[in-house]
Amino acid sequence: MSAPLTARAGEPFAEPDRGTPVIETRALTKRYPGPVTALDALTVRVEPGITGLVGANGAGKSTLIKILLGLLEPTGGQAAVLGGDCQRDGERIRALTGYMPEHDCLPPDVTATEFVTHLGRMSGLPPTAAKERAAESLRHVGLYEERYRQIGTYSTGMKQRVKLAQALVGDPRLLLLDEPTVGLDPAGRGSMLELIARIGAEFGISIVVASHLLGEIERICDHLVAIEAGRLLRADTITSMTQASQVLLIEVDEGTDRLLAELARRGLEPRAYERAVLVRLDGDETYDAVRDAVADLGLPLNRLEQRRRRVEELFRDTQGSQDDPMPGSQTPEASHVG
Amino acid sequence: MSVDQGSRGGSSGLASTEAGVIHDIGYRRYTGRRLGRAQIIRALFWHSLRSAYGLGRGAKAKIVPVFTFVIMCLPAIVNAVVIARGQPRLVPYDTYANQLRVVVMIIFIAAQAPELVSRDLRSHVLPLYFCRPLRRMDYPVAKLAAFITACLALIEIPLLLLYVGTVAQVHSGSAVWAQTRALIPGLLVGLMWAVLLAAIGLALASMSGRRAYATGSIAIYFFLTWILSGILIAVTQRNVMRTVLIKPPPGAPAPPGAPAGPGGTFQAHVITQVPTTATHLVGLVSPFTTLDGVRQWLGGTSTGPVPGVGSYGALYGAMLLVLIAASLGGLASRYRKASTL
Amino acid sequence: MSDIELRSVSRWYGNVVAVNDITMTVGEGVTGLLGPNGAGKSTVLHLIAGFLAPSRGEVTVGGRPTWRNPGIYRTVGLVPERDSVYAFLTGAEFVLATAKLHELADPAGAASRAIAIVDMAEAQDRRISTYSKGMRQRIKVAAALVHDPQVLLLDEPFNGMDPRQRLHMMDLLTRLGAEGRTILLSSHILEEVEQLADTIQVIVSGRLAASGDFRAIRRLMTSRPHVFLVRSSDDRLLGSALIGRPAVTGVELTTGGLQVRASDFGAFSRELAGLARDRSIRLRELLPEDESLESVFAYLVES
Repeated sequence: MSAPLTARAGEPFAEPDRGTPVIETRALTKRYPGPVTALDALTVRVEPGITGLVGANGAGKSTLIKILLGLLEPTGGQAAVLGGDCQRDGERIRALTGYMPEHDCLPPDVTATEFVTHLGRMSGLPPTAAKERAAESLRHVGLYEERYRQIGTYSTGMKQRVKLAQALVGDPRLLLLDEPTVGLDPAGRGSMLELIARIGAEFGISIVVASHLLGEIERICDHLVAIEAGRLLRADTITSMTQASQVLLIEVDEGTDRLLAELARRGLEPRAYERAVLVRLDGDETYDAVRDAVADLGLPLNRLEQRRRRVEELFRDTQGSQDDPMPGSQTPEASHVG
Repeated sequence: MSVDQGSRGGSSGLASTEAGVIHDIGYRRYTGRRLGRAQIIRALFWHSLRSAYGLGRGAKAKIVPVFTFVIMCLPAIVNAVVIARGQPRLVPYDTYANQLRVVVMIIFIAAQAPELVSRDLRSHVLPLYFCRPLRRMDYPVAKLAAFITACLALIEIPLLLLYVGTVAQVHSGSAVWAQTRALIPGLLVGLMWAVLLAAIGLALASMSGRRAYATGSIAIYFFLTWILSGILIAVTQRNVMRTVLIKPPPGAPAPPGAPAGPGGTFQAHVITQVPTTATHLVGLVSPFTTLDGVRQWLGGTSTGPVPGVGSYGALYGAMLLVLIAASLGGLASRYRKASTL
Repeated sequence: MSDIELRSVSRWYGNVVAVNDITMTVGEGVTGLLGPNGAGKSTVLHLIAGFLAPSRGEVTVGGRPTWRNPGIYRTVGLVPERDSVYAFLTGAEFVLATAKLHELADPAGAASRAIAIVDMAEAQDRRISTYSKGMRQRIKVAAALVHDPQVLLLDEPFNGMDPRQRLHMMDLLTRLGAEGRTILLSSHILEEVEQLADTIQVIVSGRLAASGDFRAIRRLMTSRPHVFLVRSSDDRLLGSALIGRPAVTGVELTTGGLQVRASDFGAFSRELAGLARDRSIRLRELLPEDESLESVFAYLVES
């Protein structure tokens, strides 16, 4: 990476094209008196799209966000957002970035409309544009008549939406969402995740979602950045982290033992796994053999799928963990910088 | 027929036939003007100024601002009536109705400074400001400018009313000019008042997110120091007995027991209060008496709460600057520490 | 036995009925307590923990009522949702204080064991105010475990924990459940409850909507056809074969494969393999689309 990280001072930077990373850091380090090292030579690229940021403990995550927004000086290394240097172009970066904090940050005695409009002005929008974009943002996040009521009367789900609306009002190129589903019940989480996925897919805005919930990251993100102890643990696409393996899982509602015996008879070397059966996938014939075995025995087939790796495996202490007994050995994947 | 909306990132995918139209109401990019930092600060300034007067916040929020404003204007109105009756101007420009002004300002600042800063602290909204194209110190600067302006309006508008009420009754150009010359120092004193009191009030309010504590600490600080300065001024004065000559009006009897003096006068002893060095200095205790001391140092002649500054006028000036600097420093450090994103 | 039992329990506050006639038993192992916000889950936990009295009915743990019975705290450990720790204490001090409050014979030993279980030995001498959210959660769990309770009540215990801490805590709870303890876990994170809990109790608007194994609950929803996604070597042909069967109410060709709605789940699952074989169709994938805890929960809340 010998190319400069950012545009030169004074040069305009804005729309990231397909090639430019939305966030890029090189050996980014931040030490506090303590001695506490929040970030330790972090080098990572975040591509356009929806990226999950996972694993960072409190200090690392908030330090990273502050540095990216140009609010904190790193002890060492460099950071760039949307092609601009975080130290030098902080204001411009903050104009183009929307931030949704994790904690409560809404005043109770103001309506959502007033609040988002005011923050639109604070983002640099002229008065009329602020009003219009506030109305639009509230509509996009799904707040309709409620927006004329005071925020103190809102449910948690609605408050999260207001936080998201204020992040959108300035038309950001990048959204930083910090634990957007915290405190929401399952229905609320589902709609928030859907909303975020829609924003990422349809609005043309890159999103970084900081979350501890690997399930939701697998669900809506294209990429993953995992940070541990201030260093990069892994940066990769979700697709490659959830790659299909050469193992087929078969689940029948009853008669699992008979299935095991029949598959063994057909030479497939089956293994029991929780309520299901695993066989090695040796080409298409395996599918047919399984189908025929199930049909012969007249067993109720509930599930048939190729096992996939899961993001969670990254955090298991042991490689080839008890979670995933695969026939045949599995070499640990080396951590690499994506 | 198939209708394809195809709105990706806000492209104009409008679909229509003669019979019907589907409009694209997907997300739109913003391609208009983006204002710079200066204008954002200005927007925050106006927003805060409006909060100081309770505008845009419902009826209850306007009670204190309106009430204090009306009370503050009363002396000007009374004065206009007095002048209309042909009597000399009652209310001076530089001290106005000092006691009243003190009380009104304490009420206004204690009630409204928390509106500007404590609310934001309580709701933890500051990160949403700092993640925008604003610098950390722009926030307190805008808030302070707004609050100074709010206090300035409360002080100067009644002075202007006083001026207008007086000038309306006056008929000669030179008299108008005399009034104007008296008004200007009054406005300057008002400016000092606004700057100092707003800075102290805002600095104290920024120490707490809880309105009750903020209001309480402001009120207590101002009232206590005000009362204390009054007490100290009274107790530090010396009683001095002087002999004076009095001449009773013709036909009145002589005062009993009074020794006679030359030319039909009689001697009498009078006890007066005379300021001591301490008296000259205790005014530094309260912001209000400090302001009065500076006024006198700069040549103000109306009587005020401070009975003369002696040779210590410069100290009052220094105290004024110290108080302002301390308040600014307090505000700056508060907002440097505040906001953990 | 340390079963938790609620018998016809109601709890109201004036006109607001927070819990409405709930009868449920929570036995050994890990049970998930689920429900939308405001459904009454916290009220149920507080009733079980003895912080509230039922307005009607009985709440017992191991046969003994929970209200006004400090003795139950020997058997019950509670990990509440809100921060209920003294930030100025160190982790070790806090757990030790809890051990002493329980009047344990060896408070120091119990405290260090509990701290070891939650893997906080390294940070135990730091003040709680310096802990991250996940660490605070873990120290709360240690304090709840210090007296080796048979019953453990946890309200959103994973809040703030990073993935490694979550996995560790999940392993811990699984182990404790396997030891025969009664663990009741209230959480919104259904994918984790799905992995941890053998049974669930679902509360909707103060009423107990469903109990048991969520797969069994799904099977009981006979009015809702089961939805499956099938990928095969010839989806269209398979679809046309399936729609001919009485067990199948609908098929749809989607970009992801063949979506099948089966009113008779059992019959469909038995017939699929045979149907495919008879037409020489290779079956590559069969996924139930609405059998997850998430779907079951959504259905329960909807109805």
